Amino acid sequence: MNESKPGLTITSIALLVILFLQLPVIVVVLAAFSSTSYLTIPPQGLTLKWFAKVLSDPVYLDAIRISLTLAVGSTVVSLVLGVAAAYALFKRMLPGTEALTSFLMAPLILPSVVIGVALLQYYSLIGWRGSFAALLLAHVIITVPYIVRSALASLAGVDMSVEEAARVLGANGFTAFRLVTLPLIKPGLVAGALFAFVTSMENVPVTIFVASAKQTTLPILIFSSVEMGVDPSIAAVSTLLIVATVFVLWLAERWTGFHRFI
Amino acid sequence: MSNWKAGVLLFGPLALLLIGVFLVPVLLLAPTSFHEYAPGVGIVANSWTLENYARIVTDDYYREVVWRTLYLGLGVTVSCLLLGYPVAYLIVRGPARLRLPLTLLVIFPLMLNLVVRSFGWIALLSNRGLVNNFLIQTGLIGAPLKLMFNLTGLMIGMTHIYLPFMVLMLVAALQNVPRDVEAAAATLGSSRSHVFTSVTLPLTAPGIISGSILVFVLTISALVTPRMLGGPTYKVMATLIYDEYMQLLDWPSGSALSFSLTVIAIAIIWASSRITKRWAGMA
Repeated sequence: MNESKPGLTITSIALLVILFLQLPVIVVVLAAFSSTSYLTIPPQGLTLKWFAKVLSDPVYLDAIRISLTLAVGSTVVSLVLGVAAAYALFKRMLPGTEALTSFLMAPLILPSVVIGVALLQYYSLIGWRGSFAALLLAHVIITVPYIVRSALASLAGVDMSVEEAARVLGANGFTAFRLVTLPLIKPGLVAGALFAFVTSMENVPVTIFVASAKQTTLPILIFSSVEMGVDPSIAAVSTLLIVATVFVLWLAERWTGFHRFI
Repeated sequence: MSNWKAGVLLFGPLALLLIGVFLVPVLLLAPTSFHEYAPGVGIVANSWTLENYARIVTDDYYREVVWRTLYLGLGVTVSCLLLGYPVAYLIVRGPARLRLPLTLLVIFPLMLNLVVRSFGWIALLSNRGLVNNFLIQTGLIGAPLKLMFNLTGLMIGMTHIYLPFMVLMLVAALQNVPRDVEAAAATLGSSRSHVFTSVTLPLTAPGIISGSILVFVLTISALVTPRMLGGPTYKVMATLIYDEYMQLLDWPSGSALSFSLTVIAIAIIWASSRITKRWAGMA
């Protein structure tokens, strides 16, 4: 029965579309190694000078440092707050679990640019503009839905009688959760934390309204320097980001086999 | 300790944060959008007006930007659907050993930084970009094609950005189509294309709808790619909001536009969930 197998036409179209998906990535990497400042096919010569330029430029290094601090910080805060809240929702400790869950997911539904301008106005009003903590909280708001979602999905797959057994044997609530449930939901949480980290690392629409000039993150730097034209050092720093992404994905896959959670 | 108290202790911190740094700020946009704005002065205190909303439907420029945004959303959705369906079909119905590598190739661009992907399209589509250089070198065109700062550029870039979401939705939908039903139709004499249009396509309709809604809403809300590929002149709603806040400092008008964009997005999500529920009820 071959009736519903994809034929040659479908297969070729699909493979071309998948190539189209990789196209900008290939171009960025080629541009980063190209010795001319504009792109040609085939590349006119190979060089590492754009990488050297980026890695010795304090503007880029600062942006990388700020982005990483922000991403790590907001992921950790989101994990702590998000897992606690998801646990309360899962155990139905409060009335109106469904409504409370939708409330936690609301930042995903609203256009990011709207959250951005709302926070710009609010932070100006209460005098929080330029504060790093305020920027971090803004990132927690946009990353925490991913943590809550993955925590809820993982908790749904856990047999709660194991945790109850631990409590019967004398463990208090937190110890039982830490030693029994937490290890069971870890793979899902790693996937959620990865999404949260990536979301924070790439955010522009909220960050650009909230961050001060001293808090320029890497995506903001690339976003605003593009208006000056295509500079190969942007391609080089982008290539570093691509390599870092591949490395983090590989690491997460090694730890948890997280592709099952996508 | 009662269950209720534990619940408040666990849920409370995040709830307080969301109320303080999300709900209140968004609600505070509402009063701003009804205030008057005077250039050079800023928000006029104690002035209440509907002007900021009226302008969106009456002013030619605003109307053009709103229509362009919706048109772009529709165009990107349709092209994601047309390009995404063959990919999803190959992933679900193709050789089993290709499944994981193909899925990873679809997800990979999604995990990459959005500014990096948009920058890649600038390198491809600009006047001295790869596409134009290639076409000029091969003698196909004399002068560079205008592929950026217009609808073409935005369509190409945003189709690329949101295609993975569509593929993932369609993969999930195709997996739920029982092969027996297709086989039965084929046994009863249906041609291959007839099996597809009368069995496979209707059965994947819920996935098509949810994928389309997702792509449409993401497209009309997007700021980064439209700004990078459209430049400061070719505007959509999100980039117009950005300019009103950051350059013109006309916050009342910007917040009215923000509310309009939010209302459009939420109305579409709400309407689609009504439709899918009604369909599920019929089945």
